[in-house]
Amino acid sequence: MQRATAPYFLILPSFLLAAAIILWPLKEIVSLSLHDVNRFGILRDFVGLEHFRVLFADPDFIAATWRTLIWTACVVLGTLIVSVPIALILNEDFYGRGIARILIMLPWAISLTMTAVVWRWALNGESGMLNSALRDLGVIGSNIQWLAEASTAFPMQILIGILVSVPFTVTIFLGGLSSVPEDLYEAAATEGAGRWDQFRLITLPLLRPFINIAFVLNTIYVFNSFPIIWVTTQGGPANSTHILVTYLYELGFRLGRLGDAAAISLIMFAILLVFTLIYVRLAMREEKA
Amino acid sequence: MMNRKLKRSLLFWLCLSPIIVVILFPYAVMTITSLKSATEVLNPTWWPEELHWQNFSEMWQTSGVGSALANSLYVSTLSTALTIIVSIPAAYALSRYEFAGRNAYRQFLLVSQMLSPIVLVIGLFRLVANAGMIDNLNVLVIIYTGFNIAFCVWMLQSYFSTIPRDLEEAAWMEGANRWRTLRSVFLPLAVPAMVVTAIFTFINAWNEFVIALTMLRKEENYTLPIRVLSLVAGRYTVDWHYVMAAAFVASVPVAILFAWLQRYLVRGLSIGAVK
Repeated sequence: MQRATAPYFLILPSFLLAAAIILWPLKEIVSLSLHDVNRFGILRDFVGLEHFRVLFADPDFIAATWRTLIWTACVVLGTLIVSVPIALILNEDFYGRGIARILIMLPWAISLTMTAVVWRWALNGESGMLNSALRDLGVIGSNIQWLAEASTAFPMQILIGILVSVPFTVTIFLGGLSSVPEDLYEAAATEGAGRWDQFRLITLPLLRPFINIAFVLNTIYVFNSFPIIWVTTQGGPANSTHILVTYLYELGFRLGRLGDAAAISLIMFAILLVFTLIYVRLAMREEKA
Repeated sequence: MMNRKLKRSLLFWLCLSPIIVVILFPYAVMTITSLKSATEVLNPTWWPEELHWQNFSEMWQTSGVGSALANSLYVSTLSTALTIIVSIPAAYALSRYEFAGRNAYRQFLLVSQMLSPIVLVIGLFRLVANAGMIDNLNVLVIIYTGFNIAFCVWMLQSYFSTIPRDLEEAAWMEGANRWRTLRSVFLPLAVPAMVVTAIFTFINAWNEFVIALTMLRKEENYTLPIRVLSLVAGRYTVDWHYVMAAAFVASVPVAILFAWLQRYLVRGLSIGAVK
């Protein structure tokens, strides 16, 4: 009898704490999204789905949704494309591998806020060192005001997003590569398979589950990523670099439209739930295999 | 043979160099700017004419980074301790017991990992504001703990699963009860895993942004990321050399800690991801 209840006692504190921090605010968000709320958070009349209707009629919200899609797709795919070769190299034995690993992992160690603050300075139009570096290299003739326009600011934000996502992704891939048995390659080499064939026929298939998991987890993290855009442009100029999370924050804490912001939270929650289900299915399939 | 490895090393470093340059670029900018004088800062030169080490002491006196550092230390330390205390039993249960609801609990952890603070920040803010606890650092401790539990249980459980059960079973055979086995066999073996997980939890709390931005209003309560952002955002003139010095102070200690520990993360995450 004691044995049967012990695990429940052991998981109870962590469960209660995590559930309280997640479910309680969720309940608040649901009630905010269905009521008329003033800017101090006082609930007034029940309005049903009015906040959702307002959102779907709001061109800035629609634009932010599309931009979130582009942001997530570009950062996630860019990260995967950059990370596979890096992980393959870091998995080999070569001089200075330890240092190379640390350098690649560096952005993970430094808070996104700091990285974004530094980039904001590096991208400064007059005194920024990116402009001076690119001028010295002869890539550009005159200074670019990177953050003054969405057409230059948003691609830079995507680039920063990729740079900070690479370390986590490489880590996952390195874990995957270390599970590939060495003798498989030896066998393939005696069969006369070249380097490219070995990669295509052995490495890639064995790496596939890790690519899947990195894909889904990165999608979730990038979709939720707030500091890069908030610190560099705060969604501006003229709302042109907002993604859903920054638009949510702007509505809730700058403009006092708490009801609309709560509605965005719920829409994001629904999307995240879909991602999570995909992840659980992928992870379960791995477990069975 | 040696020669081949050398050739390969050169080739690999050549392949990695573009990405390493791009990764290091902002941190090089940070370090260089933090050593420039106030007049030189607006000149985008690569090497300052004289190294202004006094930027650091001046920044320390004017920017309030000292109290922010103390706040960050307080919040990160307490929430790490609390997270570890509630996560160890849960991870132990997951790795050593079969029980109904085990999978449901694991999936609950997964879902809670997916929900970042930003999605819940509106609801959290309302709860905290209604309780009159805005600007209370202990609220931050509780919220960080709630969000870190999933990661922490996940990491600990994956490490615990690698500790062979045979040792514990041998101790039972010898007549030790479960508690005694736990204390004298299991926990000593699990200490490295706990330390590593605790440090990563600490780094997560140290770097957290959106909750601190929302819950802290008075300047004296700011944590480091908010403090540094407040030196930049909404000001007409920004003393970039001070800002970069502050960013340097806020990130370098954590970066060193992380560099030292990153290989444990590789192991823990990859075991956790597939098992």
